[in-house]
Amino acid sequence: MLEIRDLNIEFHDHSVPETVVYDFDLSMEEGDIVGIVGESGSGKTMSALALCGLLARHDMEKKGKILFEGKELLTCSRQEMRALQGKEISIIFQEPMTSLNPVKKIGWQVEEALRLHTDLSKEECYERAIWALREAELAEPEKVYGQYPHELSGGMRQRVMIAAAIVCKPKILVADEPTTALDVTIQAQIIKLLLKLNEEQKTAILFISHDLSLVRRLCRRVVVMQNGYIVEQGDVEAIFRSPREEYTKRLIASIPSCDRGKQEKDLDGALEVFRAEDIAAGYRASDGLFGKGVEKEVLKGISFSLKKGEILGLVGESGCGKSTLAKIIVGLKGDYRGRLTGAGKVRMVFQDPYGSLNPAKSVGWLLEEPLRLQGGLSKAERHRMVLEMLKKVGLEESIAERYPRQLSGGQRQRVCIGLALMSRPEVLVADEAVSALDVTIQAQILRLLAQLRDEMGLAILFISHDLRVVYQICDRVMIMQDGEIVEEGTPRKVYFEHSHPYTAQLLEASGVFG
Amino acid sequence: MKKKINYNLLVGGILAGGMLLFILIGCFVLPYDPEAMNDGLRFARISPAHPFGCDNFGRDIFTRVMVGARTTLVVALGTVAIGAGAGTLIGSVTGYFGGWLDEVVMRVNDALFAFPSILMALVVVSLLGSGKYHVILALGIAFIPSFARVVRSQYLKLKEMDYVKNARVFGCGHLRIMFVHILPNTLGVMVPTVMIGFNNAVLAEAGMSYLGIGVQPPDASLGRMLSEAQTYLFKQPMYAVFPGLAIIILVLGFSLLADGLGEK
Repeated sequence: MLEIRDLNIEFHDHSVPETVVYDFDLSMEEGDIVGIVGESGSGKTMSALALCGLLARHDMEKKGKILFEGKELLTCSRQEMRALQGKEISIIFQEPMTSLNPVKKIGWQVEEALRLHTDLSKEECYERAIWALREAELAEPEKVYGQYPHELSGGMRQRVMIAAAIVCKPKILVADEPTTALDVTIQAQIIKLLLKLNEEQKTAILFISHDLSLVRRLCRRVVVMQNGYIVEQGDVEAIFRSPREEYTKRLIASIPSCDRGKQEKDLDGALEVFRAEDIAAGYRASDGLFGKGVEKEVLKGISFSLKKGEILGLVGESGCGKSTLAKIIVGLKGDYRGRLTGAGKVRMVFQDPYGSLNPAKSVGWLLEEPLRLQGGLSKAERHRMVLEMLKKVGLEESIAERYPRQLSGGQRQRVCIGLALMSRPEVLVADEAVSALDVTIQAQILRLLAQLRDEMGLAILFISHDLRVVYQICDRVMIMQDGEIVEEGTPRKVYFEHSHPYTAQLLEASGVFG
Repeated sequence: MKKKINYNLLVGGILAGGMLLFILIGCFVLPYDPEAMNDGLRFARISPAHPFGCDNFGRDIFTRVMVGARTTLVVALGTVAIGAGAGTLIGSVTGYFGGWLDEVVMRVNDALFAFPSILMALVVVSLLGSGKYHVILALGIAFIPSFARVVRSQYLKLKEMDYVKNARVFGCGHLRIMFVHILPNTLGVMVPTVMIGFNNAVLAEAGMSYLGIGVQPPDASLGRMLSEAQTYLFKQPMYAVFPGLAIIILVLGFSLLADGLGEK
């Protein structure tokens, strides 16, 4: 049905033409589910966008063949392409928050493809839209039909996106990281939904993701990409069991595993460096200047302690209050109840390595800043300490002269960690510190954190939604739900002998155990 | 593949640079005394001795354009300096701290914004009297709201960045965060804004002098010259053409420069 041969994509917006996809080959039959896996910059999204006809920029060149049911898509006219888009080939994007138009009702957006491609009457359109919404498993399709995107949650919006994509019963559905921005439980539901659509409608799905384990759960075949090249492709299970290429092996090895035999560190004799008692906090959600404002409780009495050299994992879905807790601990949120001990020596590493370094300053300047604030050190001493720190986090000394925009994501996150450690804290709060990184980089940063913990006796509060990562790195885990800690213990105990249903639900959804 | 040339930056740079060079030369060498009158040369045509001709008092127009452009430039720079300086201060404080202070200051700002800046300047001049430095002050004050607004919007956005939060975690004081951590990041937006402000100031000065409340005779400014020239438009059209051209080149040059810088 679909045949892509020797697809090359070149950009011409720089002085030297840059090829982002080399000799991409792929064929799909009706009902296939194929995954494209790769790290950022591997060309996976580019290849998929070319298939959808969404790469029509004047400064790029596409060579090769894309045959869809015998029709050449690269050379066909805009009109012919438009006739296919949304009807035969649909796409779901990553970000459910921005891929729906905020000023149009859901129903209108779902019906758009019908209006463009069919002659259905208004009533028929409505019927079809409701059918699609129901197909996407939205609980009350009639109600959702009349709502605006801002009234829906992220998961519901992604369902709406899926409904809009399948309303014309396309033959191919391209899903570009459709679950990356969602919580694990929602993620699992969306994967289930895609599988159902594939089974019932025989829709072929091209699933693009950086998450190997997710691809394994959904796809039958997988294409592994690196730097624009296809490294390996074939049956998912075969590749997982016996990867041929070095890169694939490395990718698979980077997935943190959750085996029972994990070594657990004995921290009984260790000194306690931080304690939080009965932390409670809320936000005042005001409705306008003269509105009364409602106190929304976010944290409901959280207590925990950290020992020297301990990595404590905090797991929960978005909105459970874990980031609020981090803010309180590092002193970014002042209005809370409860007591903190040892909070003076806490520093933080943020999620987004692109937003947490000041782009206007050099790395050296940034790393010196905590020392400058602390005072009492000469310029030469400060510079020496900066170079020492760079070495410690695995960076070269020359990085000090550079600006954040000249660094890769992994290098930036190393700088961020170095920055947090400059003032010799006892406790480090890592708020989703590896979530935005590619898996191989993620593995490196995790190793770095563990190594720094060993060298400096650092206590780390490791906040994450990724259960695998937490299992691998943490000595103790807390599961948080709606502002409360529902389960706590060693990873082995929490993962294999949990008592709370929410823990079970999380583990189930994340597919940690197959 | 050919490299894309930033034509805006190139042409803008040439025009603005040429004009600045012209003014700079005028600071050191002038062909004639700009205020020396000569009855015999009244409305003299263009000649090698007087490349732009002479005005109604027999003064050399080339010399007066040189001097007038300098005055206009000084007024524009002064205006932008006051506007951008005070605007940055107000914008950063209100944007960073927010709350009721922000509400009050920005509503006052809105009110000021509702009047054309030239009208605001007229009020100030009528209180203080005219003259070059009063014009600078008047226009400078009139320009504050537009700068404050831009800076505030930048601060509103940038104060939520993680690196600002991180600076707070390190114990940075508010002033240090505002001016050492955040301010350099507003540069990308401020440079084009200042350029556009500069243009508006050139035009505003010309406009005020044209109305007779700006620079006073016998001082020359481009706007002043235009206003004097209109009486003799048919007798000596060059009197209006050359100062007008100078304004166009100055404004166009800086506009293109601003666009060019914004493109990068």
